[in-house]
Amino acid sequence: MSAAEPEARSAGAVPAAPGLVRIWPPLLVLALIGVGSMLLAVAWGSVPIPLSGLFAVLTGDAEPLHRTLVLELRLPRVLAAFGTGGLLAVAGALMQVLLRNPLADPYVLGLSGGAAVGALGAMLVGLGALAISGSAFVGALLSTVLVFGLAHGTGSWTPTRLLLTGVVVAAGWGALITFMLVISPTERLPGMLYWLMGDLSYARSPWPSLTVLLLACVLIAPLGRSLNALARGPLQAATLGVAVRPLEWGIFVAASLLTATAVITAGTIGFIGLVVPHMLRLVFGTDQRLILPASALAGGSLLVLADIGARTLIAPEQLPVGVITALLGVPTFLYLLYRSR
Amino acid sequence: MGIADRGLPGNVVPALCAGAFCLLGMTQVLAGERLCVTDDRDRAVCLEQPAQRIIALSPGVTELLFAAGAGEQIVGAVRYSDYPEAANDIPRVGSHTRLDLETVLAMDPDLVVVWVSGNPPDQVERLEDLGLTVYFSEVRNFEDVAHSVRRFGRLAATGAEAERAADSFLDTIRTLGEQYADADPVRLFYQIWDDPIMTVNDSHLISQVIRLCGGENIFGDLERLAPRLDRESVLAAQPEAIAAGGMGEDDESWLEPWTGFPDLPATAAGNLFFVPPSTIQRPTPRVAEGAGILCEHLETARERR
Repeated sequence: MSAAEPEARSAGAVPAAPGLVRIWPPLLVLALIGVGSMLLAVAWGSVPIPLSGLFAVLTGDAEPLHRTLVLELRLPRVLAAFGTGGLLAVAGALMQVLLRNPLADPYVLGLSGGAAVGALGAMLVGLGALAISGSAFVGALLSTVLVFGLAHGTGSWTPTRLLLTGVVVAAGWGALITFMLVISPTERLPGMLYWLMGDLSYARSPWPSLTVLLLACVLIAPLGRSLNALARGPLQAATLGVAVRPLEWGIFVAASLLTATAVITAGTIGFIGLVVPHMLRLVFGTDQRLILPASALAGGSLLVLADIGARTLIAPEQLPVGVITALLGVPTFLYLLYRSR
Repeated sequence: MGIADRGLPGNVVPALCAGAFCLLGMTQVLAGERLCVTDDRDRAVCLEQPAQRIIALSPGVTELLFAAGAGEQIVGAVRYSDYPEAANDIPRVGSHTRLDLETVLAMDPDLVVVWVSGNPPDQVERLEDLGLTVYFSEVRNFEDVAHSVRRFGRLAATGAEAERAADSFLDTIRTLGEQYADADPVRLFYQIWDDPIMTVNDSHLISQVIRLCGGENIFGDLERLAPRLDRESVLAAQPEAIAAGGMGEDDESWLEPWTGFPDLPATAAGNLFFVPPSTIQRPTPRVAEGAGILCEHLETARERR
């Protein structure tokens, strides 16, 4: 991790105003990768569909089976995967700006844990889908308030102190999750475990995750400059006229909402928020105006590709997608890190 | 009186069954040509014609379907569906905890039999949304086993064979019940898993078998269906006999640790018994076989007093 630290610290060293010219080409490439991965994911499943069959689905005169497979099973799941991956990556990127620490990630700081405890608790009590979502968001927000509030405390706060608070709170959530697993009925354990490892077969509708992701990108876009300033440190940001405290709280609440939405859609997937923003910084530099939307696109694509593996690698048995994201992401990340030295 | 486990006098049960059949008969008339049965969630499950392409989403359901004579019609099953022998050759659709919905759909089933407490509810809901005919199965007692076999027989139009299997199952159970109705109670610890040590409470089918054989489940009062225990609480409860399954049909290793406690009444008397897990832990007609084995073990324990 230490190798990545200078990267994050040097966030402010980027030229203050790279023209739009420098932002759009990488985004375009990532968007193309995103569309490509989604097309691949829709075309590829545990039941093979010939290319002619896929075209028939497009033109509307396909076999009923092919239509159902593509439109009702694969398409919603692929869109949900893209939305979830994007949410996690953007949440991670935001937290890393906020804490100026490469270790920051919704998972590490206990946001995912809080959301998971909220959702699992609601499931245990037997509440409906809406209550589970609400409970997850409350859990994530509670985590935010705990971490941010406690780390602020009376004196000054440092990113290190914030990170430490987050890690401890995350450990607390972890213990609560284990406790809930132990007291839950045995026959429900496998389902809950899959959910904890991240599993897109829970994703019924892609719209919540996609809507929140789009909203987040639109709302964050005008903040690019402020975020770039904040990445240099709160003092410099304040000197440059950024309202630091409101911006910090805003980032934390936004990250909670993004994380909670992702957790509700697909359980806790722990890898994307940490690694995707780092990969992008290693390749594209540290301008937040590029990194944030790029995180949405790259995180989405990574989860879509990983989910293809989850559905088909050992089909008809199904894998939790969290396993694949880690297996795909770890070597890629290590390679990029090694090359960047 | 073994049948009276739900608190019904033995002679009421046949009357109830007969009543259910009248009702089913009427449903069939009302629905014209359609075949209708009621599943374990009290929903009507109707087919236009006998089921030809059935998917069974638990190893137990697969066994029940075979017992009902509908084994030939099963086109998809889940992992561990290994009985009878022919079940091993049925194509798989995933494991009972995670189904591959694409494969399920591609098999074009006309009936999907779901295991209520085993299959993930969200995926089951999805199957219904996709327009498949779903039968919810949750077998909790001897009567449920017989009912399920009869209903599957009706849905697959193999009624005669199913009736025979259900009758013969209930006969065996009834005979055992009569045989041990007045037997001296044996305080039994039944171990269904080794690490952690797990047992069952009185709502479980295994406890019904224990009562049938004149045994008493020492942990029957616990709240959870399959409670986890530590060794201490078993030692403190002083069971007169211990029965356990294992990782296979002849793996008796779960009993070995108990031999290290010579003061435990069960160990002192040599009452450490093995019951092949698949004969008693799956709610299928094979429970009659498992019940026979357990009853004999308990009788051995009585003889050693």
